[in-house]
Amino acid sequence: MKMHRFVLGVCITLTIAFPLFSMGAQKEQQLTVYAYDSFSGDWGPGKEVVAAFEAKHDIPVKVISAGDGVEMLTKVIAEQDHPYADVVIGISDEMATRAYRADLFEPYHSPLLHEIPEFLHFDSEYRLLPFDYGNFAFIIDSEMIPKEDWPTSLEDLTHPRFRKNIILIDPRTSNVGLGLLLWTIHIFGEEGWLDWWKAMKDQVLTITDGWSGAYGLFIEGEAPIVLSYTTSPVYHYTYESSTRYQALIFDEGHQATIEGVGMLRSSKRKEEAKLFIDFLLSEAQLPIALANSMYPTNMNTALTEGFAYAPKPGVSLRMESEVIEKNLDRWLHEWTEVMSR
Amino acid sequence: MSDYRRFYRQKSIGPLVILFSLFALPLALTIQSGVWEEGSFTLERIVSAILDPYTQRILLFTLKQAFYSTGAALLIGLPGAYILATYSFRGKKLIKALATIPFVLPSILVVLGFVMFFGNSGTLNTVLMKVFDLDDPPLKLLYSLGAIILAHTFYNFPIIMSIVATAWEGLDTKLEAAAATLGSSPRKVFRTITLPRLVPSIISAAALVFLFCFNSFAVILVLGGGPQFTTLEVEIYRQARMMGDPSSASALAIVSMLINGILFLGYAFSQRTLTVTETVAERAFEERKPSPMRTYFILLYSLFTIIFLLGPIISVLYRSFSKGASRASETTFSTTWYRQLLGFEQSSSHMGSALTALINSTLIGVAVSILTVTLALLLSVSIARRKKNSSFLELFGMLPMMTSSVIVGLGYVLIARLLRPSLFGTYLLITLAHTVIAFPFALRTILPSVRSLSETYLHASYTLGFSPQKTFRTVEIPLLRRTLLTAAVFAFALSLGEFNATLILSSSRIVTLPVVMYRLIGSYHFQGACALGSILIITSGLAFFLGEVAKGDSV
Repeated sequence: MKMHRFVLGVCITLTIAFPLFSMGAQKEQQLTVYAYDSFSGDWGPGKEVVAAFEAKHDIPVKVISAGDGVEMLTKVIAEQDHPYADVVIGISDEMATRAYRADLFEPYHSPLLHEIPEFLHFDSEYRLLPFDYGNFAFIIDSEMIPKEDWPTSLEDLTHPRFRKNIILIDPRTSNVGLGLLLWTIHIFGEEGWLDWWKAMKDQVLTITDGWSGAYGLFIEGEAPIVLSYTTSPVYHYTYESSTRYQALIFDEGHQATIEGVGMLRSSKRKEEAKLFIDFLLSEAQLPIALANSMYPTNMNTALTEGFAYAPKPGVSLRMESEVIEKNLDRWLHEWTEVMSR
Repeated sequence: MSDYRRFYRQKSIGPLVILFSLFALPLALTIQSGVWEEGSFTLERIVSAILDPYTQRILLFTLKQAFYSTGAALLIGLPGAYILATYSFRGKKLIKALATIPFVLPSILVVLGFVMFFGNSGTLNTVLMKVFDLDDPPLKLLYSLGAIILAHTFYNFPIIMSIVATAWEGLDTKLEAAAATLGSSPRKVFRTITLPRLVPSIISAAALVFLFCFNSFAVILVLGGGPQFTTLEVEIYRQARMMGDPSSASALAIVSMLINGILFLGYAFSQRTLTVTETVAERAFEERKPSPMRTYFILLYSLFTIIFLLGPIISVLYRSFSKGASRASETTFSTTWYRQLLGFEQSSSHMGSALTALINSTLIGVAVSILTVTLALLLSVSIARRKKNSSFLELFGMLPMMTSSVIVGLGYVLIARLLRPSLFGTYLLITLAHTVIAFPFALRTILPSVRSLSETYLHASYTLGFSPQKTFRTVEIPLLRRTLLTAAVFAFALSLGEFNATLILSSSRIVTLPVVMYRLIGSYHFQGACALGSILIITSGLAFFLGEVAKGDSV
């Protein structure tokens, strides 16, 4: 009898477990949104934006943290035959070519595109619509490094005084890391960029897989310099009234990034998806800008005073997507070669 | 009489078929995915993986960190083995009990405890800064080769300590006494009489630790960072999940399996051929009193062991009750993370999924426990009651130990790609993967007990006219009850803390306790991770407690 009871036990357990396991699948009517970790994370805009959207349109939304940008895109591509998400938030211009190649997104000419300046329309086919933008920058903890010692250029970051003081991000898994890779290619050219990275190996505390990890480490006080955005101080001013963390502006310029949102071709809820995208491009602009610490793309968004603490870089660098598409695999390969030594 | 042998032979068919499909199938898929391209066999992927300088560097780093870690674990573990085997002192039982922690502590918890204890703002640094009135944390240990080795040492030195101490205690001290009587100095006695007999156990313990460190995953994933500090297992995960390239991952997995196979055979060989068991009538060391110098040393070592084994765990428990008003401010006591966990308070997406994670993990654990024990029991009885091929069957049952859990997970990823399971199906796959991982441990627990069970009970039962089936049910299983409970609790705890295979299998929708903990650690929500970790500790503790209670009334 014991044997049968074992089998029975397994069956009962699995039966009880079934509704729990399939909880997510039951809610067919809800809109599923993939976002990078920091969007739906503890300090991200996800919660507020979703609540406001649900209240306005009465469409339930489920936001799923899908890792950092590049990891999220890999996930969406891997799930292509068996899609799960309707909308994907946070495919930035520097990694967009991979998304185009996989033909993931359906073009959507949102009426709100008129309110977004022309220079931000990075995808002429509107598979990805720009919802925020910014410049990459290094953020410094002013309580840990006195102002006269602050670095003034990428080259300066290789100075011995910053040994083990910098947190970088892996360009293979994160768009922020990728942004820095492109930035160094801009500044040092094809012949010099790898030397900078080589020199940085002694300077870094660690190279994390994603921005959330890096910034969390920085806030925990593990290192005084981290790769992030020029707009990052806005968050600390707005929510913590603190100016402790400041963005370093380098005269040589800063790599720009534009983040896009898109609707998957495979989505069965395209009308709802369009409503959600429109919402992101209008009412959600300010909360996203504040919590994400990025500039809103919609010109009609009134910025709060916190943005005064986001210094504007003198030079904003952008790379043509054709150039990125042609060279990215090689660059990443060379980077891995150098950094794994 | 051969009737019952046939009965047990038949009993083995079911579990063998199930085990084969649970373990060999995913493995075969992995191998196929590594050597198969567009319908034809090719070694190109494996060859190019081996020839790729990046892979070579990863492999070299994997071996290097495992080598250093094993060395460090030996350095710290062996004095402990000496103390435990030679002296009797107060607190010895406590040290022995603490030494079992690494066997039951999930790797993700080890990492979390390590960061909480050794991190720049961890317990150790905070205490040192207070005591010496420093502005900067004096110990900057995290995120380097040093951190990886330290974490592995902390995790593995108790293994060396207990394995060698057990062997040492089993040595017949008459030989030493005889040598001393013949005029050898204590040093010479140790070098020529004691040490040579200990070598097999030291080799065996070191091989085991090396194997663990070689396959270490969570520690590297969190404490490593960047392509410089990547091991083979982490790279397999990265290729499979972050790069979306399971074929390259499989090629690397085959390389890893080959090395693992060699290491494991080395370990098995050292266990089988080198270990000599001596029959000891009575231990003479028991009452040996240490000299004052030695007492001081023992005290210091005990203190060290207690601090380093309990410190991280207590730090995790402590941090789960602290909260900062803002991210940069001082921390205060708070139960907010637990209230968020239980859904009483609004929380972020990761914390919000914690309760579901607890329920999922518990259910999976129970299912794994039942499945594993059933399979292991059936296989054990048929191994023990068999005359031929028993060691072959035993080896087959131990096979999953030869592959790392990351690779088991990879195999199930490939199955998932074929089957395209629903969410429930994915959880089922996770349950099966856990079963494969837990099975060898259950077999190792149950098989010796079945072997030591005298067959006279069975013969008596048959003589009284019971069928083999009825004897199995009413005589054997009740006699094995305690062992079965031990195995069940162990399998439950293993599944509850299983991180490697689960992470590689999980999509963003899958939540189990260790996976949510990892996501919280990844976004540096340490307090939340600590709260979850505490719940993990408590749940395992509860399972062990219930196991003991259930055992208690059976005798």
